[in-house]
Amino acid sequence: MSLLTWLILVPIAGALVIMAIPREREELHLPLGIALSALPLALAGYLFYAFEPVPGFQFTESVPWYEPWGISWSLGVDGISMPMVLLTTILVPIALGASTGIKNRRKEFVANTLLLEAGMIGVFLALDLFLFFVFFEAILVPMYFIIGIWGSDRRRYAATKFFLYTAFGSAFMLAGIIALALAHSAQAGSVSFALADLMTVELSQGTERWLFAAFALAFAIKVPLFPLHTWLPDAHTEAPTAGSVLLAGVLLKLGTYGLLRYNLGLFPEASVDAAWIMGVLAVIGIVYGAVVAIVQPDLKKLVAYSSVSHLGFIVLGTFALTSGGLQGAVIQNVNHGITTGALFLLVGMIYERRHTKQISEFGGLQKVMPIYAGFFLFMVFASIGLPGLNGFVGEFLVLVGSYATLPPLAIIAASGVVLAAIYLLWAYERVFTGIPEKEENKALSDLSPREIGLLAPLAILVLVLGLYPNILLDKIAPSTEQVLDHVEASTGYEVPEPGRLGDVFVAGDGR
Amino acid sequence: MITPEIQWIAILPEIALAAGAAAVLLIEVQWKPAANRLGWVAGISFALAMAFTIVQWLTASDALAVGQIGSLLGFSGMVLMDGFAVFGRLALLAIMGLGLMSGWRFVTGLGRRGAESIALILLATAGFSIMIASNNLVMMFLGLEVGSISLYVLAGMTRDTSRSDEAAMKYFLLGSFASAIFIYGVALLYAGTGRFDVLGMRGFFSGVIVTAPAVILIGIALVIVGLGFKVSAAPFHSWAPDVYQGAPAGITGYMAAMAKVAGFLAIARILITGLPQYEQSWAPVLAGVAALSMAIGAFMALVQSDVRRLLAYSGVAHAGFIMTGLVGGTFTGMLFYVAVYALQLVGAFAIVAAVSGSASSASDIDDYRGLVRRSPVLAVSLAVLLLGMAGLPLTSGFVAKFGVFAEAWAGGFEWLVILGVLTSVVTFAFYLRVIVMMFMEESESDLAAPSTPVRWAVGLAVLGTVLFGILPEPLLRLAADAFPL
Repeated sequence: MSLLTWLILVPIAGALVIMAIPREREELHLPLGIALSALPLALAGYLFYAFEPVPGFQFTESVPWYEPWGISWSLGVDGISMPMVLLTTILVPIALGASTGIKNRRKEFVANTLLLEAGMIGVFLALDLFLFFVFFEAILVPMYFIIGIWGSDRRRYAATKFFLYTAFGSAFMLAGIIALALAHSAQAGSVSFALADLMTVELSQGTERWLFAAFALAFAIKVPLFPLHTWLPDAHTEAPTAGSVLLAGVLLKLGTYGLLRYNLGLFPEASVDAAWIMGVLAVIGIVYGAVVAIVQPDLKKLVAYSSVSHLGFIVLGTFALTSGGLQGAVIQNVNHGITTGALFLLVGMIYERRHTKQISEFGGLQKVMPIYAGFFLFMVFASIGLPGLNGFVGEFLVLVGSYATLPPLAIIAASGVVLAAIYLLWAYERVFTGIPEKEENKALSDLSPREIGLLAPLAILVLVLGLYPNILLDKIAPSTEQVLDHVEASTGYEVPEPGRLGDVFVAGDGR
Repeated sequence: MITPEIQWIAILPEIALAAGAAAVLLIEVQWKPAANRLGWVAGISFALAMAFTIVQWLTASDALAVGQIGSLLGFSGMVLMDGFAVFGRLALLAIMGLGLMSGWRFVTGLGRRGAESIALILLATAGFSIMIASNNLVMMFLGLEVGSISLYVLAGMTRDTSRSDEAAMKYFLLGSFASAIFIYGVALLYAGTGRFDVLGMRGFFSGVIVTAPAVILIGIALVIVGLGFKVSAAPFHSWAPDVYQGAPAGITGYMAAMAKVAGFLAIARILITGLPQYEQSWAPVLAGVAALSMAIGAFMALVQSDVRRLLAYSGVAHAGFIMTGLVGGTFTGMLFYVAVYALQLVGAFAIVAAVSGSASSASDIDDYRGLVRRSPVLAVSLAVLLLGMAGLPLTSGFVAKFGVFAEAWAGGFEWLVILGVLTSVVTFAFYLRVIVMMFMEESESDLAAPSTPVRWAVGLAVLGTVLFGILPEPLLRLAADAFPL
């Protein structure tokens, strides 16, 4: 078995280890869970180190699962999925570290989180559509329990809504996968669900559009794209901190990753045709999410709606179909996971102290909790996209990349950056500046070393990716260029001149 | 005159079961032993039937390997020993084993009448077993009736409760009606073809062209109605919720699973093997029944507050999913689905019996509140089985749904597949309601630990659900090899 299989099996084994520890030894579960989740992080770190900046899949492996159906355990990693695997393995230990507040059935909580990790890694690594679907759908269960058991008051409603919404979308994708595989077997004479095989299927224009829509619906719900976003504020707000971090940090990315990998890869013609529609939906999401975030009285809901806005940038970049757009989309996947994950951690920390998330309950916290305020402001700036921090890189690439092909949308999307500054800075002002008036706020303790330890790695990543994005972009670029090559080769589409390479930040030999 | 050759091996599994039933009754009369002793007798006849079935399997594969199909036609072609029949027998026997285990508390609770219930369980299995193995439609009807009548009596075993009475009465009246419709359909098929045997019908149609096939078409329709009732497909499902709720919970899973397996195998044998020339006529009818079953089952289950009624309506939806596997004229998906669903059903009802009591009683969804606190094993097991029924990946239910949907899509019924995946999402909604109750609500009350046989039955069902979800290959290959002659 090779590295990628281990990446999936190690968290599953970790979950089994946790389940094997008696319930009475509850002081062991969380530390051991964190230690066990460091193993996949180490594997992913090695993956990052050993990953060659060349196009195509690396570390591939394939074992037949059930040959008559042509399904196989096929894994591989490229510049689009590698950053996502790394992000997942970074966020899981942090999310577990932030879960000391969970006293109730801690053992099951840790095991669920590790199973969730295995599923998320599996989605990013799968190169067989059957296998991909299995992981895509299977992660619903641990997340469902994480929201539904350890969430806040309306957790049952939120968990069920989350589950049903996503299952609804994937139902169409399942029909699409079956249709695509049958079309392949009719043409090639052999059954296969391998991504590489299915990419060669010749589809009529009508069929391709239907299949594009089926896949896009599943991913658009996951992203979520306007108007399919209504599950997100509920799920985010009701989930425990660890759940929100992983939901925003990784689960939403399954949608943007799917659009990039499967919609562009399998249905290039339809993707080119639908670029405007997807772009318009993305921009509506950017503006709508931002405007709704401005008026949220609840800090956690504000961050949740900011996700709707930020994820819109990623979708816009994907369907800009330019070098900058795609690279921006991939790196923004990572950036959003880091900054929004950190913001959810921060909201969780204040909630543990005050048991409220209402912005109006706070004020003047800067004076009482300077370190906390410092981290919060730093992450707010990263999220807004201050130059020098990671958010800037991704949003800039997306805007430049989409201006080449979808100029009006890029212009409107740019307003999202301004709106982000409004809702985040205004929230910061109301929570942190001024003099603390409420008695409860005056006695708040600042961050503990443990909490600083959770936030510091994320803050460092924000700086590293902001100052030297090529550490990732060098490895991303060959794969996104390959996606563009594939789209160009299989359609009449040509990336307009300023959109292909030569953009700022684009990795090349001369750098 | 040549005396017909008697191939005992063709019916030895049924003989073992029927002899077991007779032995249980005689031993009870003579020695009045404890119920556990009778359980051993049932166990022995189960083991013998299983062994004979495996011998049949080996015989069948040997004969097929050398192309001697004739040796698989027992009793002048009345009873078949093809892979289809063997697969069905294995499934029925597995259900019976699990059903006896999960219903054991109910059986022993009956006291002296426990022997009757054991004998009836064995007899019902023998009846349905002969039904799926028979090539001759009259023989098939006899098997159907032996099985069905045993089930009617089992449904009414707890005579003292009015609900059980009602269930048994309803099941008996509507069931007899359905049997009558089925035999009428058989008569019309005979009128149209002059044949009772399925293989003969196929041969008949390959030789002649029937210009006015009204008799045959009506016959097909009546057969579908009669067997559609047995598998509780909509719109012939109205008995199912009442019977599932009223019959003793300990054996409801066995009853439901039995009827489903036998009914679907019979439908497949008659329509796909016997009447392939009329596929243009029956496939759309099956598709319509499947669509109606999926929709009615899924949406009616949404509003149920009793877990048994919920499982009954979800069973209607599953009848629709299974039938989806037949519209393309294929078997494999249907066989796999019906086998894994039967397993889940028996397991789920074993848990229902453990939670709500094994005799007939209400099993309100509120009984499941906070079950994970009271009995983590039962709660997790029921969650796995329900998610398996819902068809979540990594459970057998997903592989099963994938199989039938792929076959239906390949058969040109795209709309049915789309309806199927959508109703699957609706089924998620009510399975999740039970899971929410068990895992996300709190409860103080206590629950007696389930008995050992129940634990075994539940454990095997859960194991099968997970195992065939991750490694479906053995069962899928078995189903793929189990084609009828």
